[in-house]
Amino acid sequence: MLNEERVILMTQMASYEGGEGRKNVKIGNYFRSDYIAVQVLKSVVSGTIAFGIIFALYILYDFEVFMQDLYKIDLLAFAKNVLTNYAISIVAYGLLTYIISTYRYVKAKKSLKSYYHSLKKLSSLYGDESVKKKSAGGSK
Amino acid sequence: MTGLLEIRERIKMLYSRYEVFILPIVKFLFALIVLNTLNGKIGYMKRLDNIAIVLIVSLMCSFLPKGCMVIFAALFSLLHMYALSMEVALVGLCMFLVMFLLFFRFSPKDSVLALLTPLLFAMKIPYVIPIAAGLLCSPASAVSVGCGVAAHYFFQTVIVSAPALGTMGDSEAIAKLRLIIDGIVKNKEMLVVIAAYGITIVVVYLIRRMSLDHVWTIAMVAGAMTNIVILLVGDLVYDINISIGGALLGSLLALAVAKVIEFFRFCVDYSRTEKVQFEDDEYYYYVKAVPKMTVSAPAKTVKRINTQRHRGSERGVTTELTPKRAQERAQSRSGGSSGARRTRGDYRGGKSVTVGNMDPDVENMGNDDYEELF
Repeated sequence: MLNEERVILMTQMASYEGGEGRKNVKIGNYFRSDYIAVQVLKSVVSGTIAFGIIFALYILYDFEVFMQDLYKIDLLAFAKNVLTNYAISIVAYGLLTYIISTYRYVKAKKSLKSYYHSLKKLSSLYGDESVKKKSAGGSK
Repeated sequence: MTGLLEIRERIKMLYSRYEVFILPIVKFLFALIVLNTLNGKIGYMKRLDNIAIVLIVSLMCSFLPKGCMVIFAALFSLLHMYALSMEVALVGLCMFLVMFLLFFRFSPKDSVLALLTPLLFAMKIPYVIPIAAGLLCSPASAVSVGCGVAAHYFFQTVIVSAPALGTMGDSEAIAKLRLIIDGIVKNKEMLVVIAAYGITIVVVYLIRRMSLDHVWTIAMVAGAMTNIVILLVGDLVYDINISIGGALLGSLLALAVAKVIEFFRFCVDYSRTEKVQFEDDEYYYYVKAVPKMTVSAPAKTVKRINTQRHRGSERGVTTELTPKRAQERAQSRSGGSSGARRTRGDYRGGKSVTVGNMDPDVENMGNDDYEELF
């Protein structure tokens, strides 16, 4: 026999698993610190690539002047300046990633908690049904 | 209002019934419009400006994830820019890469907004986007909208610089690069618009989350005003020649669109608001419940009219028991237990109205002569 409450619960859970839940389950597989570390690491890599692209465009923009002044400028000071800018941008981007990923992890965990609660409820519904079946079989 | 609500329910019903077909069709049409607009605005590569290619790509977008549409649009624009000048394509590629690496990582779901923003700019209705995004999305969508605004101004720079780029030779690669980069970096209008749209999205989002009556209307009006004020201040500070009349008219149009969005997403009846207060072991709860305005779509009932079997000269209307109902009554008379509970299917054998006509030709008609819809 169809159990209407169980069908509704299973439909809600299937919809969650197919949509937002898939992402949240992935997040939930990590420990909090691991998830945040992976996200920050990804940000450092992508931030480095983005900084490299912007720096390359900056050099290309003034390429002729840069080549002319290459032997005149203090290369060490120039490198120090570039590295300082890089460090500031990466730290700022990493910090932003840290805040966003912490927020997302907490949100995903909260959402998964409610999902696991639904799973428990579903399991208890199955349990109730099997008890009913057994008692019906016994009375025969 | 009831009529509008009925129409809304019918649209919802239609969408839920045919979602499998409607969604790919909408995606196909959206991709078609985006790619055609791109071809119309920056169609420098003639081979790409071909309806067959556009149709094939749009068809692919209809069943691929939404993010693919953004990638295809970026590829189309890069190829067009490459046809104009390799340096322009290089700057475009760098810009798109930075956007993908830094921004879309955090809001991949909203990446369609980055596509929709330049499209609405091309349609001269850009003011809709910050208000709509604030009403429907999260504040993170400000990033996608900002990227869309940057892409629009980049395309504008390319379109404006195209004649100059055409006259430059291959030896002036750095000059071409500088022309395009200057067009983006020194574009104060772009920065003002990005700031205005970003702040508008956040303002609309924050207000619409408040517990006030008519909060969506307040949010959209406040958003439109914020947008206009920031644009005006930006215009005064940087002298960027933003059309104030255009901004006012555009904001009015945006408000009209936002009202339509509100009708579909947040149609509530504040006159029936209920405020309740209760407590459990840990908290006191102050709950404000605002009922949604809903009407059920009118259902069609089918009345079945059958021909009468007995002879006679006049036309008569009689009621008779259909076989299933007669059988049921007989069972209940004989003390059977079937009358205890009937399922929905059992109701099919209900009382029917029989219209009799003694014309011999008509008499030969079957039981289900015609059905009348009410």
